[in-house]
Amino acid sequence: MNLDFSIILKYLPYLLQAAGLTIELAVLGIAFGILIGLVAALLKISHTPLRFVAHFYIWLIRGTPLLVQLFLIYFGLPQLGITLSAFASSVLGLGINSGAYLAEVFRGGIEAIPVGQTEASSSLGMGKFLTMRRIIFPQALRIALPSLGNQFIISLKDSSLCSVITMSELLQTSQRFASVTFAPMEFYTAAAVLYLLMTTVLSAVLSSFEWRLSKENRTRGC
Amino acid sequence: MELAYKPEKSMINVNGLIKDFGKTRVINGIDATVSAGEVVVLIGASGSGKSTFLRCLNGLETLTAGEILIDSVPLENKSSSLKQIRRQVGMVFQQFNLFPHLTVLENIIEAPIHVLKQEKVNAIQVAEELLSKVGLYDKRDNYPATLSGGQGQRVAIARALAMHPKIMLFDEPTSALDPELVGEVLTVMKQLAEDGMTMVVVTHEMAFAREVADRVIFIDEGRIVEEGLPVQIFGNPQEKRTKAFLSRLNH
Ligand SMILES: Nc1ncnc2c1ncn2[C@@H]1O[C@H](COP(=O)(O)OP(=O)(O)OP(=O)(O)O)[C@@H](O)[C@H]1O
Ligand SMILES: [Mg+2]
Repeated sequence: MNLDFSIILKYLPYLLQAAGLTIELAVLGIAFGILIGLVAALLKISHTPLRFVAHFYIWLIRGTPLLVQLFLIYFGLPQLGITLSAFASSVLGLGINSGAYLAEVFRGGIEAIPVGQTEASSSLGMGKFLTMRRIIFPQALRIALPSLGNQFIISLKDSSLCSVITMSELLQTSQRFASVTFAPMEFYTAAAVLYLLMTTVLSAVLSSFEWRLSKENRTRGC
Repeated sequence: MELAYKPEKSMINVNGLIKDFGKTRVINGIDATVSAGEVVVLIGASGSGKSTFLRCLNGLETLTAGEILIDSVPLENKSSSLKQIRRQVGMVFQQFNLFPHLTVLENIIEAPIHVLKQEKVNAIQVAEELLSKVGLYDKRDNYPATLSGGQGQRVAIARALAMHPKIMLFDEPTSALDPELVGEVLTVMKQLAEDGMTMVVVTHEMAFAREVADRVIFIDEGRIVEEGLPVQIFGNPQEKRTKAFLSRLNH
């Protein structure tokens, strides 16, 4: 065995920088995903024909691999005259992908709110939109939060797939150093450790957030 | 040939109301008028259509046929019309339906601020007055889950009153409460009746009906079977079905 982890030290600043890009992709991807997921959830529970669009989107995205989706966006779309940078393609892909899962998460949260809440707010003259924004959604978000956090962690790990559409995020950067230094074990271990560090910190932050909210809810009882 | 007398102003007019759920006819032709300031108590067996009737009055249910006028304005199944009517018709539910993520005060000022576009300071002032009136000023910053049932229902009444409704509907407001908490809610309702509010109340509290109601309506199978003064209905009911219902209630 000739493992030499000291080699990592020399490249650590670059690896950390790449990890920064990974975080950026995950945050932007999930933010975009929340937006799409919310719209898709609202469409899906609406009684308009647009709900079929939401059904179709969720079916399509959940039924195909993220890697294929990224290829279609980055390599396929230029054929239709739509050329996106690797970065834009990555955020778009992660957003569209997480959005399909979040749509179901949000829908579940919204549907868990008792119908009496809507009846009370409509009885007070509140319209549909106002009721959703002020009454239903804040309660639904509390219910959806654990699954939302879970999707965030998944998206963070999934961002490694963006390496194959030329993004110099953590995995691709490690791969590059691994091949020039002939030390794949060292660099992929470093990558794994950095991913683990990020997901651990993220889930700690999320669960402290949830804990605070649930403590609040214990006194609120909702 | 002309109006020799001025009729009492009617707040609610119901003409030929019919409501179906699928193939089931739940309200089967109701005609009724409620005057301004009148307190009407609806009684009837479970499933007779009391809640459905009440929910039709503020547009929570769409009508199958017939018409409802609220202060002479027809209730139409359009969201603008419904919103307009609902601002004028407060509703209190059996399960309170307070907003659990908002404090007592926030529950009350929510609609005045976002629907009536009141200034927050004004809305808070009105809310505090209403809370004092229902005896819960000190609970203004509590969350609903920390309240007893009686307190929760009084907050729900204050929340409805904050919209300055012309009519208040109550659907079994004390049925979910422990017996010792019923009185505090009925006291608030009695006060409201004395203040001249037009009220339609579904309740099994016969003592309250005797004391506060101007009129009692007995509903069975979606129809008005009998109506009259509380003393008439409770003391000397005419219809067989009313008698049967009341005797079951007393046992
Ligand atoms: N949304 C609905 N869909 C289908 N049927 C309904 C619906 N709401 C009420 N019903 C039916 O209509 C009938 C009348 O119900 P309603 O709730 O008005 O009765 P109620 O007199 O208020 O009874 P209770 O005293 O039990 O509250 C019942 O048979 C009920 O099952
Ligand atoms: Mg009922």
